[in-house]
Amino acid sequence: MTLAEGVQLVSFGLLAAMMIGTALGVVLLSNIVYSAFLLGGVFISIAGLYLLLNAGFVAAAQVLVYVGAVNVLILFGIMLVNKQEDFKVIPRAWIGKAATGAVCVGLFALLTTMVLGTPWALSSATPVGDGATVLIGIHLFSDFLLPFELASVLLLMALVGAIILARREYIPDEPVEASVSDALTLPERPRDLVSAGKSDN
Amino acid sequence: MLNFLKQVGDYARESVQAAKYIGQGLSVTFDHMSRRPITVQYPYEKLILSERYRGRIHFEFDKCIACEVCVRVCPINLPVVDWEFDKGTKKKELKHYSIDFGVCIFCGNCVEYCPTNCLSMTEEYELAAYDRHELNYDSVAMGRLPYKVTQDPMVTPLRELAYLPKGVMDPHDLPAGSRRAGKLPQEILAETQPRNGDTDQN
Amino acid sequence: MSQGIDLQDSFIQLLVQLGLPTGLAKALWLPLPMTLMLISATVSIFVTVWLERKISAAAQQRIGPEYAGPLGTLQAAADGVKLLFKEDIVPAQADSILFTLGPAIVVIPVFFSLLIVPFGQHMVITDLGIGIFLWIAMSSVTPIGLLMSGYSSNNKYSLLGGLRAAAQSISYEIPLALSVLAIVMMSNSLSTIDIVQQQSGYGILGWNIWRQPVGFLIFWIAALAECERLPFDLPEAEEELVAGYQTEYTGMKFGLFYVGSYVNLVLSALIFAILYLGGWESPISVDWLASILGISDTVPWLQVVTASLGIMMTVLKAYLLVFLAVLLRWTVPRVRIDQLLDLGWKFLLPIALVNLLLTAGLKIAFPFAFGG
Repeated sequence: MTLAEGVQLVSFGLLAAMMIGTALGVVLLSNIVYSAFLLGGVFISIAGLYLLLNAGFVAAAQVLVYVGAVNVLILFGIMLVNKQEDFKVIPRAWIGKAATGAVCVGLFALLTTMVLGTPWALSSATPVGDGATVLIGIHLFSDFLLPFELASVLLLMALVGAIILARREYIPDEPVEASVSDALTLPERPRDLVSAGKSDN
Repeated sequence: MLNFLKQVGDYARESVQAAKYIGQGLSVTFDHMSRRPITVQYPYEKLILSERYRGRIHFEFDKCIACEVCVRVCPINLPVVDWEFDKGTKKKELKHYSIDFGVCIFCGNCVEYCPTNCLSMTEEYELAAYDRHELNYDSVAMGRLPYKVTQDPMVTPLRELAYLPKGVMDPHDLPAGSRRAGKLPQEILAETQPRNGDTDQN
Repeated sequence: MSQGIDLQDSFIQLLVQLGLPTGLAKALWLPLPMTLMLISATVSIFVTVWLERKISAAAQQRIGPEYAGPLGTLQAAADGVKLLFKEDIVPAQADSILFTLGPAIVVIPVFFSLLIVPFGQHMVITDLGIGIFLWIAMSSVTPIGLLMSGYSSNNKYSLLGGLRAAAQSISYEIPLALSVLAIVMMSNSLSTIDIVQQQSGYGILGWNIWRQPVGFLIFWIAALAECERLPFDLPEAEEELVAGYQTEYTGMKFGLFYVGSYVNLVLSALIFAILYLGGWESPISVDWLASILGISDTVPWLQVVTASLGIMMTVLKAYLLVFLAVLLRWTVPRVRIDQLLDLGWKFLLPIALVNLLLTAGLKIAFPFAFGG
């Protein structure tokens, strides 16, 4: 075994242990903030595994998108929500937990048999490594153009939706007259559209 | 459409203007970097204070007639004057006098109104103490004169800006005997005195 | 194109000649550049702190640190020693695990990004294919540490500061990445070495700053915001938030935040120098001078001169930018949080997008000048 192989094996072991440990922590810990931070750990370990698979670009993208954006937004969401609820002991809560556990174990068993039973076609081609960036680009603009564009449209829709939600400043306490059909409109304070852009001055 | 274009144009112009102002600000900051530090390295260098500096108040016990004018003109009636009427001489005899410099605002009213000039302002400003009660000076403490900056061998005395020769900005290493810009008060006095005499004769 | 000096090859060859196996020789080489980089990063903190104090003093007509070492050069070391010896306090109601972990998470990505900073053709820890992308990805991890320390301090100022820092970091990451993307598009590579190579050959005229006059402004504004330097230092605005997420920290944990922020500043300046100011290239191309004087570029002494000149150039350019950052600090007042987000989302983002589009168009129209 050369030095490189040894390092690879040890890092794989470390990363796998870290990933499983943090993932279990995300699910099992009762403090939601801990869960959110541990989620970042899961993403980082996945990025590390990508690195081991010679996919540096995917690893960096994983860190950028999942740790830098998704996880931070989750944390933001948790820290900005200021709702306190008293902890209520639910009678016979163990039934739910047991059921969840059973389902999870079942899923895990199913996946294990599937993984072990499938004859994986292992590619013998050498990984492209640093050339991956170019290859991903070519694929995105040829084979996967439609999904790529669809994803961007989806993101645009989400963006527009977020802006509409954020711009809604006032929601009346009692519902507006039911006679007026407002199925597709959001309750909003009417305002001058021209001055809207200049309101921050 | 035209309105929109105008908005875009205005926005662009404002951005350019903002950039210009930031550039101007940067040039001002940069210009300041080439100026000499005005720092007075305090315990080793000290400024020579102006004649009218209002520092700790000096008190001469023997001149005081215990009239309490200083108390009356003080914004907060600060000076404490302890006297006793001496029936024999029919005069007030001063026993104690004190001012709490932790409370004093150094406005100088007491000095201004003192009929016997027993109060005066000194150049002392180093009044730090470990306990605020130490700032309550009695007549003995107020009778002490501060050490002059120019006579202290440990200190390099520096002139203030208005006392420097014309065109000089740096108080360090002035040639000996260099005099300040403009006329000294006594010179102005000497110039005006004879003319006053003339007017009197006429 | 000269290959320049290759220390790694020479070192390994030397050890192999001494009778060591190649694998061992490589393993012996590996920690050397990393240790060197760590040491130089630490030294750069001292230099930057000293520069910041001295330049600030000069801008305000003061003298600045004077008594600790010659011209006060040891002042930063004195401060560091003081921080080391201070008591390490964890507030009673704070979350001690997250409280300890937070500063570490802030500092580690910054040091990690130094992997890709080149000082010469072969003077880089690793020439990663993803190069500059690693820096962007790593700098997006920092807000997690800020949120962590802000949350765990159990202090409303800390929490607000942490949230502000994260919001600021996220909003300015996008214009930053977009302006970097324009550069990447011109050099057809993410690798920092290739980016510098693409600017080489014409001396000062070949630098990207002429091709990206808008991009470099966007980059610098966004980089200052990422470093939380003064026009954008709202996360630790003293007047409003005491000290933001640093409020409850003392001792070396507090010191770590400062280490992180100063290394981040130097790192941003280095990256700016690489992206826009031609990295290790001198204003007058050394290769060109050598070819005029008729010196072959395989002459050893020329290689040594080129390499040391390259290191000096990179550091000099970076510190020029640090100087600019300090000067800006005393020129521009702090922005409000709404102005900050306005600037990020309504000004820098559209302009960065337009800049990217323009660069793409120019690349198609003039492939010889904007990278074929």
